[in-house]
Amino acid sequence: MTTSDDAVAVLGVQAPPVVRRASRWRLALPVGLLAVPMLAFLTYFFFYPALGLLLSSIQTQDSRGIIGRPFTLAHYARLVNVELYARVLWTTLRISIVTSALATVLAYPVALVMVKSRPMITRIITLIVIAPLIVSVVVRGYGWQLVLQNGPKGMLNWILMTLHIVDAPISVLYTEAAVVIGSLHVFFPMMVLPLASALGKIDPNLEDAARMLGAPWWKVFLRVTLPLSMPGFVAGFTLVFSLTAGSFVIPAILGGASAVMLGNLIEQQIFVVYDWPFGAAIAVVLVGLVLAVNGVSMWLLEGRRLRRPE
Amino acid sequence: MDERFSGFGAYILYTVTAGMMLFILAPLLLVMAASVSDSYFVTFPPQGFTLKWYAKVLQDRDFLEAMRLSILLALGTTAGSLLLGVPAAFALVRGKFFGLAAIKGFLLSPLIFPALVTGLALLQVLTKLGSQDARLNLLIGHVVVTSPYVIRTVVTSLQLVDENLEDAARTLGANRLTTFWRVTLPQIASGVAAGGLFAFMVSFDNYPVTMWLANSEYSPVPLVLMRQLVNVFDPSVPAMSTIIILMAMVGVLLLEKLVGLRRALAA
Repeated sequence: MTTSDDAVAVLGVQAPPVVRRASRWRLALPVGLLAVPMLAFLTYFFFYPALGLLLSSIQTQDSRGIIGRPFTLAHYARLVNVELYARVLWTTLRISIVTSALATVLAYPVALVMVKSRPMITRIITLIVIAPLIVSVVVRGYGWQLVLQNGPKGMLNWILMTLHIVDAPISVLYTEAAVVIGSLHVFFPMMVLPLASALGKIDPNLEDAARMLGAPWWKVFLRVTLPLSMPGFVAGFTLVFSLTAGSFVIPAILGGASAVMLGNLIEQQIFVVYDWPFGAAIAVVLVGLVLAVNGVSMWLLEGRRLRRPE
Repeated sequence: MDERFSGFGAYILYTVTAGMMLFILAPLLLVMAASVSDSYFVTFPPQGFTLKWYAKVLQDRDFLEAMRLSILLALGTTAGSLLLGVPAAFALVRGKFFGLAAIKGFLLSPLIFPALVTGLALLQVLTKLGSQDARLNLLIGHVVVTSPYVIRTVVTSLQLVDENLEDAARTLGANRLTTFWRVTLPQIASGVAAGGLFAFMVSFDNYPVTMWLANSEYSPVPLVLMRQLVNVFDPSVPAMSTIIILMAMVGVLLLEKLVGLRRALAA
């Protein structure tokens, strides 16, 4: 409390010592307690339900729909062994990895231009990149449905046919490619923002030095900019991967029957088949996947295993 | 334009950036164009101009009911997540107690957890509890997913508060409540507002939690829109979508005014 003592001295006000001691005591106790309502709420409505789901994933559901003993790992085995379900797992992994990789390649140029342009351009790019983030995923999925529509009335096909690039309409909608395109649109900001923030922290003198020493632009990028922006890349990749792996709306709208992801399989098991333990097991696998990727990313970021720009 | 980019590298950078801007805007602009097209099916290129689809949407009972529910739910969620999140942010920034980092991690963990699973797990517990009111269930679910956003923005702005000002106010005889209200709150107001706005927008658009907790009586906007997508093929769906896009634009501009977009979203 040195600062208030100074203030007391400067202002010549005598604060009653008894009151101050009481207030200091009160200050120490309640501040931490302010987190208690939030903690209690999340424990009861987030942590406890998550444990409950984990528990039902190793239990058995009887014919009346009651979940209980015996404990079993059969639901997990089913996900891996039944080809129909295993394929969903692989599709999810494939779509998530391809989307994150594409997002990385495309986000670097955007983030670079965003960071290094004049303020006005930076502002416009930021606004365009971020604006869709706040538009409902359903609306964005619908927009892509209109763009990719199969048949000559879709925007993409109309453009391709008008420019005589193709003679007959191509079918993109209801394929994995459509899901990748939609996911890329939805999660692209999650890659650009961390990248831009990492790129913004790089000392421009380092790049200038490399350039003055005669390095061509691509060498400057590969040897200076890229290594120094790794923390942003790791953070962005993790976000895009986790969010894509857990999506439901985009594969439901754009993937149809040919690109079913884990989220859609869970929904089907719960709402259509009413198989809670199996649905819970798929959910646990999804969470495990996401937590594993986040764990690796935290290990990379916090262990100073990446060179950070200071 | 900038001496840092030149030659072939610059060419690639600007082409990709321009291409991505087009990629981001194309589907949204197409939806908006389709919403005023004068045809009974959505086709490209859009034909004619009419506002009749908006007239149809604004008379659609289901859509209006959903709108009302979504706005009330988002308001309730904002209030709930601010009431729980702002004090928690205070505890995280000002408190010095054992396990602070772990508690912070726990409070922010709904952000990395797949929301779909959060909703499913909550549905199981609420069913067991016999909680049948979809509105209450949705409120609980939405507060779970939005409160981390509030905590994050408020923590960031609290870290910038000058504690000397609070000490000065206390020394001059202000009690703790007055000090908070007149000295601390004005300094974190933009952070609290950004957190609240975030909570509102996340709640309004939320699908993965909502889909588990809503029922046929109480369906928020994203669910109703999803249902319409499958069943309706006239441009009233783009009209609904455009209304949602315009609402989001207002939100984005407000956020940009309040704190600046990059700061509001910085992880």
